[in-house]
Amino acid sequence: MARGGENRGRLLLIILIITSLFLITLDLRGVSVIGGIRTGTQSALSPVQSFGSTVLSPVRNFFSDVIHLGRTRSEMEALREENGRLLTELRQRRNVDAQLEQLQGALDLAGKAEYKVVSARVISQGATTSFTQSITIDVGARDGVKENMTVINAYGLIGVVKTVYPSSALVSLASDPSFRIGVRVAASQQIGILSGQGTRKGVLQLLDNQSTIKVGDILVARGSVNNRPFVPGVPVGEVTAVDNAAGAVTQTADVRFFANFSAIGIVTVVLKGAEVDPRDALIPKKPEPTPVPTVTVFVTPSGSPSPSADGTE
Amino acid sequence: MSTRKLSLSALLFIVIYVIQEAFVTQLHIAGGGFSLFLIFALLWAALSAPDVGALTGFAAGLLIDLSQSTSGAVGQWTFVLILVGFGISYLGLGYENVRMNPFTITFLVTSAVVVARVLYLLLSLLLGENVGNFQSIFTSLLIGALWSAAIVPMTMPLVARAYDFIDDSRSRL
Repeated sequence: MARGGENRGRLLLIILIITSLFLITLDLRGVSVIGGIRTGTQSALSPVQSFGSTVLSPVRNFFSDVIHLGRTRSEMEALREENGRLLTELRQRRNVDAQLEQLQGALDLAGKAEYKVVSARVISQGATTSFTQSITIDVGARDGVKENMTVINAYGLIGVVKTVYPSSALVSLASDPSFRIGVRVAASQQIGILSGQGTRKGVLQLLDNQSTIKVGDILVARGSVNNRPFVPGVPVGEVTAVDNAAGAVTQTADVRFFANFSAIGIVTVVLKGAEVDPRDALIPKKPEPTPVPTVTVFVTPSGSPSPSADGTE
Repeated sequence: MSTRKLSLSALLFIVIYVIQEAFVTQLHIAGGGFSLFLIFALLWAALSAPDVGALTGFAAGLLIDLSQSTSGAVGQWTFVLILVGFGISYLGLGYENVRMNPFTITFLVTSAVVVARVLYLLLSLLLGENVGNFQSIFTSLLIGALWSAAIVPMTMPLVARAYDFIDDSRSRL
């Protein structure tokens, strides 16, 4: 009897494994049914995710804020002085302001380049079940979003639309290890390939062995044929370290992306690129130090000594 | 397995899946955070017999494969979780001290989360996907393990109660 149960268990295990391998094969061969099921699941979950995004909006950054508690201590002390009503209003206001600021920045960038865009809210971030870096946004095929469209925010490149669902889309972030983008060094016009590394840091490999780069060089997207997946001119990042290894065929460098991928709230999908390549027009201006005013006081000594404060001399 | 047990288990799995997809993924958690659904599925498998553990892994893996945050081929997580679900329930079978000790089950489930992710990674490599550099993978695995070790003790009593209610048996934890 026990032997029969054991055999049944083994048979079930084998059947399940074969089924899973069958599913992998079907998906890799591009059978539309499998993709359809995934699209259906995403369509069903999209409204719930939007609801979740709205509900968790005020506390979304709680866990990351805990890590940077020391940095925000002075801000917290100032906030303690506020009364309860003002504190609640302030929290709500800050959340809306941050989203507005991100939206305004993204629209400014898109407007400067004359892109046709659609703005979107991030409704989900990739979970630990995947090693890929991705986000889900609340616009999809109904809003004109298609696969391989560039996604930007106020600071520059965010990633590229990987999968489109009716009312949402999966965006592969530029930090994803599989992400590759052709970039151009602003000013010097050298070209190279930038690869994501799973963090905010990317690795640039120049294509020409005669080219050299230096720390502080700004990288912009080189653009693709018909502006997909990348529209040209989008700021990507800044060179932070140059690898001058002897014997290397071409020079490589570490690049820090302009966009902070861990704090993305609002993004913009470029539906249509500019008619003319904006070249280096979108590169963010370096912050200029605020001049500190110097006050010079001229004191002319009086002829006779003045009496002291307590009246004694 | 009775129809009642199957339908209630399926309902619970779907609810946890929706919570994971709609709420947990919204939180900007350090290091990528944790997968509540994965932890729940492995806890459930740990409480089950090996054949039910494999079946649990199959269902949970299929749901994870259908998630929009999963970029791999459909079936990849299914394959991994069948093996891990079977393995974790097989490890507990016959060793009552393993199942009755919360520390052991925390260690078992946390290890299973890491093993599942490593297997997924290896399968991705076999399928020719780019998985990134060693440092980011190691960091992700380590942080994921720490989060799992923190989350398992909190969810374990609830999962055990739900399991006992559906299984109609006394709590074994």
